[in-house]
Formats: sequence, C-alpha cells, structure tokens
Amino acid sequence: MNLKKSLIIAISLGILIMAAWEIYWRSQGYLPDLDDDKYLWAKTRAMVDNATKDDVVFVGSSRVLFNLQVNRWKTLTGIKPIQLANAGATPLPVFHDIVENSNYKGTVVVGVTPPLFFSTTFEQAPPWNRASSRSEFYKNRTYAQRINYNLSIPLQNSLAFVSNDDEAWLDDINLKALLKTIHLSPRTEKPQDPPFRRFQDIDLNRNVRMKERMVNDTAFANSIKTVWKTILSGDKPPPEKEATIEYFLKDAEKFTSRGGKIILLRNPSDGFFKDIEIKGLPRPDFWNELITKANVPAYHYQDYKSLSAFKTIEWSHLSAKDADQFTENFVKILLEDGLITNLKNN
Amino acid sequence: MLFNSLIFVVFLVIVLAFYYSKFLSWTSKKGMLLLASYVFYGLWNPPLVILLWISTLVDWTAGKKLALEENQSKRKGWLLLSLFVNLGFLAFFKYRDFLLDNFTSAVNAYGYGYEVQPIDIILPMGISFYTFQTMSYTIDIYKRKIKPANTFLDFALYVTFFPQLVAGPIVRAKDLITQFYEEKRANFNQFAWGTFLLTIGLFQKIVLADILLADTSNKVFGSKSILHGLDAWTGTLAFSGQIFFDFAGYSTCAIGIALMLGIVLPDNFKYPYASIGFSDFWRRWHITLSTWLRDYIYIPIGGNRHGITRMYAALIITMLLGGLWHGAAWTFVIWGALHGLYLIIERMLKSKIQIKLNTLNELFLALLTYIMVNFTWVFFRAREFSTAKNMITSMLFMNSEGEKIVETFDVIKVFSLILILFICHWIMRKTSMKDVSLKVKPWVLGVFWAVMLFLIVISQGSGEQFIYFQF
Repeated sequence: MNLKKSLIIAISLGILIMAAWEIYWRSQGYLPDLDDDKYLWAKTRAMVDNATKDDVVFVGSSRVLFNLQVNRWKTLTGIKPIQLANAGATPLPVFHDIVENSNYKGTVVVGVTPPLFFSTTFEQAPPWNRASSRSEFYKNRTYAQRINYNLSIPLQNSLAFVSNDDEAWLDDINLKALLKTIHLSPRTEKPQDPPFRRFQDIDLNRNVRMKERMVNDTAFANSIKTVWKTILSGDKPPPEKEATIEYFLKDAEKFTSRGGKIILLRNPSDGFFKDIEIKGLPRPDFWNELITKANVPAYHYQDYKSLSAFKTIEWSHLSAKDADQFTENFVKILLEDGLITNLKNN
Repeated sequence: MLFNSLIFVVFLVIVLAFYYSKFLSWTSKKGMLLLASYVFYGLWNPPLVILLWISTLVDWTAGKKLALEENQSKRKGWLLLSLFVNLGFLAFFKYRDFLLDNFTSAVNAYGYGYEVQPIDIILPMGISFYTFQTMSYTIDIYKRKIKPANTFLDFALYVTFFPQLVAGPIVRAKDLITQFYEEKRANFNQFAWGTFLLTIGLFQKIVLADILLADTSNKVFGSKSILHGLDAWTGTLAFSGQIFFDFAGYSTCAIGIALMLGIVLPDNFKYPYASIGFSDFWRRWHITLSTWLRDYIYIPIGGNRHGITRMYAALIITMLLGGLWHGAAWTFVIWGALHGLYLIIERMLKSKIQIKLNTLNELFLALLTYIMVNFTWVFFRAREFSTAKNMITSMLFMNSEGEKIVETFDVIKVFSLILILFICHWIMRKTSMKDVSLKVKPWVLGVFWAVMLFLIVISQGSGEQFIYFQF
C-alpha cells in the first residue's frame, strides 16, 4: 500500500476540483457572501445583553430587514442598531425573549406586517416557529458553535460555493440544494413550489440589502411576486387578533415599566400584498386597535409623506437605494419626535 | 465539539502539533491530551465536565481500593459505590423522567391524582458511553481480570480520551490504558490511514447520512398520515442507512483520529447489513456495546450455562436493557425486545434445522436479516407507538390507500443508495477496508479520497449532531 502516493493525489486532486468548482460558480455570477442563518442571528442577539439605554433594537419581519438599513441608521445617529428581524416571522417571540431574558432598557422598533404580526401565538405555527427557534438556538448554543461560526465567516466571505442559508433558496449551491433541483415525474399530490431565489444580501451586522438584479430584471422580480402569490393563495388560518395583541401588550407593559421604549412601525406595501392586507386585516380593526391599546409611539407609512413616497419592488420590500432613503426619513421623524438619541450631536 | 465542524479541524491541528512536538515529554503529552479532551467536552457545556471528574475520581479510588483490599465485603462495597455513582448519573440524567412518568401512570391507574412536574434537565452528551466504560474498569478489577491503571493521568485519559469520549467505541481498560504506558507515535502509514478513516467517517456522516438520507427519513417518520407502503419502506430504509452512516461514521472518525495519534481503538462495525442471522448482526453492529452487554450482563446472569430456558431469559433481559441503554422510552424497549426475540427464534431454528450454506441461500438469509432488522428500526426511530404501528402496517402493505409523501427522485435515491450499501456490505463481509486498500492501486484510492473530500466540502452540512450523542 502506497498511502503517500494516495494522500498526495487526494490532496492535490481535491484542491484542484474545489478550485474548479469555485471558478465555475463565479463564472455563473455567484460571489462570496454571508448566509442569513441562526448562527448570525444568535451572534447579533448576544449584543442585546450588553446594549445600553441609547441602543436601538429592530424586531419584525422581512420588511424591517429590507427597509431599515442598519449602516445608514448608524451614519445618521451614531448608533448601530441591532437587527433581529426574521423573514416570514412574527416579531412577538423575539420581543418576548428580549423582555424576559435580558435587562435591555433601550428602544425597540417593532415592525408590524399585519399578516404576520396578527397571525398566531401557536408555537408550532411557521410564523412563530421561524422566529422562536432562533431565540431558542441563542439560548442553547454551545461555545463550540460560537467559535465554529466565527471560523466560518472568513470562509463565507472568500468562497462563492459556500452557501447554506436557513431559507434553503433554490439557487443555493450546496449539495443538498443542488439535488433538490432534480425533478422527476411527480409521485405526490403536493404542487410544485415556484422557484424562490435569494434576492438579498446580508452583512455581518445583519444589514440586508435587496439585490440590484431585482430592480433591473423584471422577470426576476416577478418570480418573487409569484412566490408571494403562492404563499398567500392557499387556505390560511384566520388571524388571531385578540391573542396576538394581548400577548404583545403583556410584554410591552413589562418592557416599558422597566424603562424601555417601544416604537411601532408599519412599512409600505403595494399591489397584491396591499390588497390582502386591506381586505383581510383592515387598518381600523387591526393597526388602529393595536396602537390604541399599546399606547406607544406608532408610525404607519400612510400617515407620513416621507414614508409613503416609495414603491416596493415586489409588493413588499424596498430596493436598497430606497431603503436608505426610507431609513433616513424615518430616523428624521424619530429625532424630531425626540424618540431616539443622536450621539453625533451630543 | 463535533467532528463535522471547522472548530474541530483547528482543534485537531493544534492537538497534533503539540503531540508531535519535540519539547514535550510523554507525560506532558498525555496531560495535554487530557486537557484537550476536557476542552473538547467542555466547549459543549462546561459545567458537565464536573460529571466526568466525579466519575473519574470515584472509579480511580474504587479501582485502587479493589486492587488492594482482600476483605470480600469491603471489595463489594467499593464496587457498589462505583456502580451506584455511574448508574446513579444515568438514572438521574437519562431515566429520571421516564421512571417518574411510568410511576405516575401506574399510581394514577389506581385512581390517585398524582402529578409531577418533569425537570428540564439536559442530558450530558455521551453519558451512556463513558459510564459504561468506567464501570467496566472497576468490574474487571473486582474480578481480578485487570490491574488498576499505573497513574491517575493514565486513568483520567482513559475515561476522557476525546476521539471516543462521547459516542464510543466503548473501550475496555486493558485495551486502552496499557497503550498510554509507553510513548505512542503514529508512523507515516498509520497517520495517513488515520486521515483516510477520518475522511471516510466524515463522508458517511455529512454526505450519506445528513445530506442524502436524513430528510427522507425525517419526513416519513414525522408524518402524521397513514402512508403508502412504498413511502413507509423508503423512510425506514432511509433511516437504516442514516443510522448506520451516522454511527459507523462517528466510530470510523474516532478510530482514525486515535490512529493519527498512534493509538489503536477496536472496530465497532463490520458491515452489519450483510449479516446472516441476528447473532451475526450483533457481532457486526455496535460491537463494543454488544460485547459489553455480553460480558457484564448476559454472562453474569447465567448466559448459556443453566439450560435453554435460562439462556433465553438471559438473552431477552440483555436485549431489553440494551434497548433501554439507547433511550428512556418504551419504543427502545420494544426495539430491544424484538432483537431478543429474533435471537431466540434463530437459536431455536438452528437447533432444529440444519442448512448447508451456499452463496445463494447466504444472500437470501442476509437479505431476510436486513429486512427483519428494518422492522426493528421503526420502533427505534418512531417517537410514538401510533407512528410505529402505522409504519409497520404500511410496510406490510396493509394500507393500500396510504398517502404518498415521498417524491420519485427521493424514492430512487434511497433505494439506490441502500442497494449499494447492501452490496458493499455483502462484498466486504469477509474482508476489511484495510485489505481492500492494499489491493487497489494507489491512484484509485487517491481519486476516491479526493472525491470524498470534495463532496464533504460542497455538502456544507449545518453541523448536525451525531444521532448516538443522545444515547
């Protein structure tokens, strides 16, 4: 047995194949990027435990992720917000986790996307579970997992083929994702999901920016619209307005009584999404009732010219450029209302 | 810390660098290995290292006393202390809620409204492995089969040796402690072979178990519906492959890593899915556990020394306890009971029917054994009896209207992979990987190795835990 020869072949051939693999995917337009996963979320969540009264935390759904730009906010106020919003999820479990498991007394901006915020308090339901599982992971993550994630960051930022997002996008290029693209004649009655491709980038601050392709390539943007239609077209359980509001109010009271500030934000929506929200979750019955009962500063984009002057790209999220402007306008309102601190002026 | 993680790669490189450095003595190297093992374990949950320390201290003291003490009742006392501490840990951390649940159900069956709040206690990783390992040490000293370890360092390293700490192989003291007495260094071939084993183990875990099989198995066993027969079989076969690749993968990694340090660990799997009969299966599946159960339960309670009935009773008790070792649930007990039953039926048939084995009937018997083993996996994997019942009836094609939930590609993927697995086990059942590697050309082994490395890297598993960590 000549293991020396085998080992040399294995190492050199292995490196060669991996280099070819990397070059191939780069030639297909892939670039190294970070994944939006539970590890990055937990690393961000850890910041809450050391945050001060001046700090700002974002919780909410994908609209908060896309529309509130962390880096822009920091440039404007000198404070880097802690972005804890989760795509496709209600903010309630994350807010609950902050209230119950930290001493944080700063500001929390709670994004209200009606179909998600008022959806459920049932722990197994996807809008809840997608968020609560990350809080749970934060609580239970091991030291090994923390170090492991830190070691993975340079790899994610250097190699295009490293892609393992929690969302499992169609255009992920890990082995499992590639195998999922193989479709033979269907056996089950489950309708085939429309292609759901990653349409945003995320950085180490969990600052999410919509890909430029969404703005320039209508077909690509339309493919995301098709996904929203498919998700929202099926039979959905009715909203649990009373339960969700009650759940939120309980946490809100505890948080404000210890000195924390809450700001509610309703982000813009258009087209199909807006229609559903108007019909299924009308503002007077949902948003208005929530803000009356919560009695905290609340901002609905329709009430502010500077917040409603935007067109979402796929009915739900703003382009990166618009998100910068939206953030700037929102920060300006909050500063005028004296709700957040501008460390740059102090 | 998991073998299938980046942090482990860094950890292993650092450990190897110190281990092969010239400025450390052998004692210092063993100290370094011990410290590394505590770091390996502690990075998961630091306070639980205390359990390892307690187990180490108690068994070290008990071992020394057992060796020196001549008074039989005092010797019994020291042995009982060791058993009490180790089994006490197991009872408290692993079986507490199970025992309490069953006690509550039994009491309430007589009309008492007894209620207990289950304590949410974390199950220390690998507790069943290291407690069994340390118990074997004191029991063997009690039986005067072995002498106590030369030094506390040797013993502590035996209890904590990181390659096999959390999921075996369960190594006997005579096989491992003695290796620590003299300096060990792997020669180039051992080191390279260890690296190859580590690669193949990671390939089994990351690519075969986690990427190719786990999803199908999880989907089928997670379904609340009554399934179509093909779906039930696909899910069960997927699980049979997943658990083999997961566990054998861990053992192969452990053996490989130890070999990179020049330390030899025993085989834990010998191509079990081509076993001819269930006795053969247990000589090939989780070998270090089955020999432990044989030596410390089956033989002490009588084995085959007291007639057929006692032997059958010993077999069933051993397998029931083996089932319970895997998890605190009745489904595991049934899994063990089924294996016990299989072994009894096999022995009964063997005493009545003499079959002259040839390739064809060997193949048939291997296939039959594998199919029967798959029925036991249903109880092992199902979280509830209702799921197990539905799966079994579907596998017996009694649910013709069952729901189809597995897509065509996944059915083909699972059946192809399991067929390849079975063929490989069949071909390999009378040989070993080492023998095969001696016969193949170095470039073939090199290309195979490179492909495995490539598939591991592009799989980018999300660092899933090994299934056996929970046992």
